[in-house]
Amino acid sequence: MTPLAFLLVVISDCCSLAGQIFFKHAMGGANEIKATKLAAGVAIMAVGFFLWVGLMSKFDLSFLYPFDGLNRVVLMFAASIFLKEKMTLNLWVGVGLICAGILLVSRS
Amino acid sequence: MPAVVESNDEVTAEAKPRKGWFFNPYTQILLSIMLSTAAQLCLKKGADKSVSEIWLGVEGLRSGWVWLGIGAMVTSLFSWLYGLRFVPLNVAFNLAGLVQVLVPLACWLLLGERIGPTRWCGILLVCAGVFVVARPLMRVEEKL
Repeated sequence: MTPLAFLLVVISDCCSLAGQIFFKHAMGGANEIKATKLAAGVAIMAVGFFLWVGLMSKFDLSFLYPFDGLNRVVLMFAASIFLKEKMTLNLWVGVGLICAGILLVSRS
Repeated sequence: MPAVVESNDEVTAEAKPRKGWFFNPYTQILLSIMLSTAAQLCLKKGADKSVSEIWLGVEGLRSGWVWLGIGAMVTSLFSWLYGLRFVPLNVAFNLAGLVQVLVPLACWLLLGERIGPTRWCGILLVCAGVFVVARPLMRVEEKL
C-alpha cells in the first residue's frame, strides 16, 4: 500500500466520522440550522464514500475493510483532545490491538 | 376509568416492538449487519467494474452494483435505528463489531479473494480491538 492510498483511507474514515457527527447534531436545534447541518453531513459523507469506492477499485476488500477500524482510533483521540475524555487502559489496549491488526493487514 | 386504562395500554404498546419474528429487534439488528456486509460486497463489485483511477470513486455511480450497495446501506441504517430502540446499546455495538469478520469471510467465500494467515491474524486483531473499545466508545458517542 502506498502512502497516498493510506492517506486516502484515513481521509475517508475521517469524513464518514465527521458526517455522522453532523447527522447527530442535525437532530436537535432550529429548522434552518438543522437543514444546513444535514446538508453538510451528506456532503462530507459523500466525499468519504466516493474516496472509499475509489480505493475499493484498487485493493482487495478483505485488505481494505480492516482499515475501517481506524475510525474508532480517530474517534478516541478526538474525544481525548476535544472532550478531555480520559484514555483508560482499556482504550489503549483496544487502540493497540486495532493498530497492530492494521499493520499486519497492510503487510499481507 | 376505562378511557384511562385504554390510553395506558396505548403507551405500553408503543414502547414494545411489533409482533412477529421479522419485527423482532434482534432480527433487525442482524439484518442490518448482513445488509451492511452485503453493501460492501456490492460496492466492491461495482468499483471493480467502473472506477478507473483511485481518486475517481464517483465513476462508481455508472455501475448498478454501486447503487445496489447504496440501497443496502440505507436499508441497513433503518433496520439499525429500529433495532436500537429496543436492544441494549452495548449488545448492539458488540454485534456490529461482527461486520469486521463477516466482510473478509464473505470476500473469501463469495468474491474468491485469497486471504493469507498474516491478513487473517490482522483482521482478528482489529476485531478484538473493536470489541474492547465498543463500550467506552458508546459513552463518547453520546457526548459528541
